[in-house]
Amino acid sequence: MIWQQLLNGLTLGSTYALIALGYTMVYGIIQLINFAHGEIYMIGAFVGLFLVVNTGLNIGVALLGAMAFCMVLGMLVELIAYRPLRGRASRLSGIISAIGVSIFLSTLMVLIAQTNTRRYPDIFNIQTFQVGDLQVSSLQVIILVVATLLMIGLQLLVQKTRVGKAMRACSQDLEAAYLMGINVNRIISFTFAIGSALAAAGGVMVGIYYNAVWPYMGTMAGLKAFAAAILGGIGSIPGAMIGGLTLGVLEILGVAFLSSSYKDAIAFGILILVLIIRPQGIMGQKITKKV
Amino acid sequence: MRFRGKAKWALLVCLVMVFSIVAGCGGNGSTSDKSKDQDVIKLGFLGATTGSVANYGIPGQKGMKMAIEEVNKNGGVLGKQLEGVYQDNKGDSTEISTITTRYITRDKVAALVGDPCTGLTKIAAKIAQENKVVIFSAGATGNGVVEIGDYVFRNTLLDKFAVPSVVDWMVNTKGWKNIAVITSLNNDYSVSLTPVFKDAIDKQGGKIVIEESINDEETDFTAQITKVKKAKPDVLVFTGYYREAALLMNEAKKQGLDINLIGGDGLYGQDLAKLGGKAVEEKVIFYCGFSFSGDESNPVSEKFLADYKAKYNEEPDMFSAQYYDAIMILAKAMKDANSTDPSVYKNELAKLKDYPGVSGNTTFRADREPIKSPICLITVKDGKLTLLDKIPLNIE
Amino acid sequence: MDALISQYIDPYYLRILMLIGINIILALGLNLITGVTGQLSMGHAGFMSIGAYTSAILSMQMGSPFFLSLLAGAMVAAFFGFLIGIPTLRLEGDYLAMVTIGFAEIIRVFFLNFEPGGKAVGLSGIPQNTTFVLVWTLVIIIIILNAKLLSSRIGRAFYAIRENEIAAEASGINSTRLKVLAFTAGSFLAGLGGGLYAHYMYFIRPQDFAFMKSIELLNMVVLGGMGSIPGTILGSVILTLLPEMLRIVAEYRLLFYGALLVILMIFRPNGLLGDVRVYDIKKKLQGKKVGLWQSSN
Repeated sequence: MIWQQLLNGLTLGSTYALIALGYTMVYGIIQLINFAHGEIYMIGAFVGLFLVVNTGLNIGVALLGAMAFCMVLGMLVELIAYRPLRGRASRLSGIISAIGVSIFLSTLMVLIAQTNTRRYPDIFNIQTFQVGDLQVSSLQVIILVVATLLMIGLQLLVQKTRVGKAMRACSQDLEAAYLMGINVNRIISFTFAIGSALAAAGGVMVGIYYNAVWPYMGTMAGLKAFAAAILGGIGSIPGAMIGGLTLGVLEILGVAFLSSSYKDAIAFGILILVLIIRPQGIMGQKITKKV
Repeated sequence: MRFRGKAKWALLVCLVMVFSIVAGCGGNGSTSDKSKDQDVIKLGFLGATTGSVANYGIPGQKGMKMAIEEVNKNGGVLGKQLEGVYQDNKGDSTEISTITTRYITRDKVAALVGDPCTGLTKIAAKIAQENKVVIFSAGATGNGVVEIGDYVFRNTLLDKFAVPSVVDWMVNTKGWKNIAVITSLNNDYSVSLTPVFKDAIDKQGGKIVIEESINDEETDFTAQITKVKKAKPDVLVFTGYYREAALLMNEAKKQGLDINLIGGDGLYGQDLAKLGGKAVEEKVIFYCGFSFSGDESNPVSEKFLADYKAKYNEEPDMFSAQYYDAIMILAKAMKDANSTDPSVYKNELAKLKDYPGVSGNTTFRADREPIKSPICLITVKDGKLTLLDKIPLNIE
Repeated sequence: MDALISQYIDPYYLRILMLIGINIILALGLNLITGVTGQLSMGHAGFMSIGAYTSAILSMQMGSPFFLSLLAGAMVAAFFGFLIGIPTLRLEGDYLAMVTIGFAEIIRVFFLNFEPGGKAVGLSGIPQNTTFVLVWTLVIIIIILNAKLLSSRIGRAFYAIRENEIAAEASGINSTRLKVLAFTAGSFLAGLGGGLYAHYMYFIRPQDFAFMKSIELLNMVVLGGMGSIPGTILGSVILTLLPEMLRIVAEYRLLFYGALLVILMIFRPNGLLGDVRVYDIKKKLQGKKVGLWQSSN
């Protein structure tokens, strides 16, 4: 049973990682806990659902559609709610603004789609493989693989491309980057676009895997993704992946071997312990404070 | 002090805000004499239309609106029209407390209808009892509700009456003796239903092989199902609501666990079939005080179902039926008492006997607890919730 | 006195005024931690629930007098605030925020499993001892004590830690001790507010103290103006009234609420009464255009 549970944990963990990747990117560049990120993920799931059900599109196309939609949405949110605050407000004001956006978006979705939970139609042929005692569904494999590929892709984007270089420069020192001729606003916009597209991809995949899409799915997912990103070391892309997987596995193993009643308490308890031992998270870099 | 200059400013803004709310909504509040002779009878809706429990409030509100329309079409009550007042409480404790107070003092409602949740009902019931206004909960099943006072009523099939019969059917008729019990930990309905089931299972000779818990609003139940599967139960008992039941069954199907799930009337929602798809088909069985379809002996339900579909283009659920009935029962009591004064008509209300409602035959006992008989067992067939069996209610 | 008030004030306003009072106490507690000392706490509702449950259980099951339960609730909350203050010695900013969120979630899960607290069903039948006069007397006392504290040497040290911890340390401030002190004092107020809330509402349940409640309290502090007492009061008043006032727009209520939060932040980025600090003015004079976030951490 341990292997089955471990697999369950890895799948859950990779859904966390998918959301945490976008979270950590945005954070890395502007140090904002983007509470609206969970809502973007939720809207991505709904857009995908809408495209599949109402236009009968192929799921791959629907996934791309959801990602494109959320890209634009993410940039809009940044433009309207965060950019006006940058440079004039304390970081906390940014968080409050993000919370405002989050409440706004989830309520908007309730008005559009009501509060019912919906499911993706059974259009996929989900296969289950039996490996010894272990049951593996094709969807679990897909989610794990996609999360890993996205992580690698992101890492390449950030480390190997010109844009990535600019992003890294911005995350180190926004002012210096600006002085070096980097269009800071455009880079931030770009980061939001990428992060939001990742969230949408996560939303669609989680929607298919658990067969449940509803307007309030974003809050808890956002919180878990934040926890995952922190656990891995916020701002670090491999960290988000490792943090997500660790959190997922911790939760599932907590249920499997301790008690399902204390599931979240176990996961958060271990998270706190890890942070006390390693205050910068698993992969985070220790930042020396400057005066 | 660093804020001396600003303190005045803050005080001023606070005062302006307080006054604006007083002035802005206070128009009809102060003229209490007039409202005694209102030409309409106001009824306050308690329930959430946004937030995570809105799934249960929205259908309730629809049922309530439909009942009010019907009563008004048939001439209203005592020559007056009914008027619903609808505020959303988000499923939040403080919100329901302010809304209840607002309904009572501002709108001068003749009765409050709701809330679906036991805990929130208690907050509202306490306020209603102190202000001598009838509160009629169309969903609270937990303990300690009607005990709050003689203005408090409810019309749900009570689990403590229904569960022993259901468990008897499950263990002795069906022979499902090894039972897995799953509770939704953050759902008060589920948490209070589980011990009722456990008691009954013990008494009927069933054996609980595993106990697990989940949380409402979650979607990942893989770990719990894997654990349950290993314990090899004959049947699952899940005490929560339909959303989570459907997701549990989906997961069970995914893991190749072919098993029946028994639950309470919290599973009575069309979403059970929609969300569960093939996974719940003839697998989920739950009890309820009534059944919309497949029950020829209850023409009221059949008619309600048709009307509701015509009006809203969707299927009603348990809450729509119970809010509908609540309004009808209140209207009847007011007519019988020839008064809309809660302190008068509540006595008539308490005498309710064998009322043939949409949500079953309802009788109030001496302690105002509702009795509904018989119990309907409902399952999903071809994507529709259908009556499976009827079993008699036995109350000790 | 209370009888007199309830005779002249509409019960609906009275209820809102009570909730405002309780929220002011809670928000002032959080203001000490987050607004003044700059330690981002997103788990204030957790301390509130400790106070609420402790005092409610003492009143109901031990029959202890109201004031004693209230005090005990606040003390137990303060003790946990002290405990959670300790990780702050090692953690900063958002890592600390995560620890506070996690801690509040652990408490919520604990109460979901806590038999004497009724689990998810909650506790009902709590004696309704909280009165208008009591709440507002406490509010006034707490405001005065807060103002005294903040204008004292310790208060200035709190602000110093928020502005620049290293510089504060260099000036001889024991930031370790003071951060823990801020957490303890803030949690004491949270516990007190929780006790008042429980003895006012008649019924409490773990869901009342979930993450969104903490966020609501944080909103009050930030919206009013971080670290400012009048600001926090204003924030509490506005955010308690706003949902009630927005009832006019019916189902669009939360849409407006969310949008208003964003708009208020855009137009008053440092809160409605956010104090202008020397640090900010200097920045302004330097004509910074692309800076990230102002202030510390």
